[in-house]
Amino acid sequence: MATLIHRPDGPLAEGAVQLSSTTPVLSGGRIGVLDNGKPNARLLLTRAAEGLAGRIGGHLITVTGKGAGANAATACSSQVLETLSKEVELVLTGSAD
Amino acid sequence: MGDNAAVDDYQGLVEVADQGPEGLYEYFSERGWGDGLPLVAPTHDRVEESLSHADGDPDEPVAILSPRDGVATRRAVAVNAVLAGCRPEYLPVVLTAVRALGHQQINLRGVNATTHPVAPLSIVHGEVVDALGFNAGLGAFGPGTRANATVGRAVRLVLLHVAGARPGPGDASTQGQPSKYTYCVAENSAESPWEPYHRSVGVEAPSAVTVHCGENPHNFHDMESDRIERILDKAASAMATFGVNNACISGGEWFIGLCPEHAAVADVDGWGRADVAAYLFEHARRPASEFRAQFDRLAWADWMRAADDETLLPMTQEPGNIRVFVTGGPGKHSCVIPSWGMTRSVTLPVAG
Repeated sequence: MATLIHRPDGPLAEGAVQLSSTTPVLSGGRIGVLDNGKPNARLLLTRAAEGLAGRIGGHLITVTGKGAGANAATACSSQVLETLSKEVELVLTGSAD
Repeated sequence: MGDNAAVDDYQGLVEVADQGPEGLYEYFSERGWGDGLPLVAPTHDRVEESLSHADGDPDEPVAILSPRDGVATRRAVAVNAVLAGCRPEYLPVVLTAVRALGHQQINLRGVNATTHPVAPLSIVHGEVVDALGFNAGLGAFGPGTRANATVGRAVRLVLLHVAGARPGPGDASTQGQPSKYTYCVAENSAESPWEPYHRSVGVEAPSAVTVHCGENPHNFHDMESDRIERILDKAASAMATFGVNNACISGGEWFIGLCPEHAAVADVDGWGRADVAAYLFEHARRPASEFRAQFDRLAWADWMRAADDETLLPMTQEPGNIRVFVTGGPGKHSCVIPSWGMTRSVTLPVAG
């Protein structure tokens, strides 16, 4: 017998951020690195970005941290995210431990 | 169980062909919902019965939970409480814990995003412990009591569903830990020599819930000592380890769950909570040189950074970060509960 149950996840907050779609064409693209504060993340991500730029004919435009006072456990500042969204099409970030 | 279209977006109702235990289990598993264990069907009647124990608008947000930015309304929390097997009257306790998770100082985004195994521990204080049948005695952290088991599980289900803290996209914990299934304990005020914990942190209410985001309990035992210093030396040795985040993040808290018999020794010796915390602050220490040999990066207070290599440094930057409560039954086992580090506990009065 059919019955009604409640979904367990509830609504999303207004303005909740969803992942953007993947950049369809990387060729010649502008690449950025966002160091998430994990050990060696900046080095690893920068090397990866340089390698990617070489393969697709793109350019590594910027390497940045999350903002003043931030660390691996805190969120990136809105200002940094805004700047990145204007300067590059692709950001490499999120190295783990 | 067949395809089920949403029939009421506002209340999140879906029609299912079969609400039997096996059918519901499959239905939730197929959608990536649940914690891997069987669930109670969140029918409209059950959710409404649960909500009858809350005070406010069922669709009013009590917290916004990261990383999904899900809105934890009373209704959404009630749905997860039903799923977990909570009695309807437990809902205010679950709501209070969820409300605490929404506080900025918890840093829930970090708690869920980290590779550390951190899980929120809900500690229940005051009149509600006996009124709702929480086990604060023998086996307080263990199985066998519906209130402890299902309230902790409800909090986890809210995190999985509303916060989106699923392993992988929403929870990066390398290994997880068993307390990510359920993690709720009650303070044993009846056998504590001190005022209830929540009053010690300024919450003047008959009942309260503290949420501390940390590791599983680390046991320490002392079967024979009649001096509290000798007992607390074991606690200090359990704390002074480099394997916990507290070693490299000096702002992290510690929760110390003393069993009644250890707490009684402290009381006979005339010690209060603050004395226990001060002793552990002074004795859970390692030389600065050892910390520096173990870590390249230390999120330490300035005074700790400035210390020379020979200085014995504590496992947290101030005694106030060491928080003491009594739980458990007969026997001489107590525990220390390290923190994830970048989080602060929150204590709130129980409210629906």
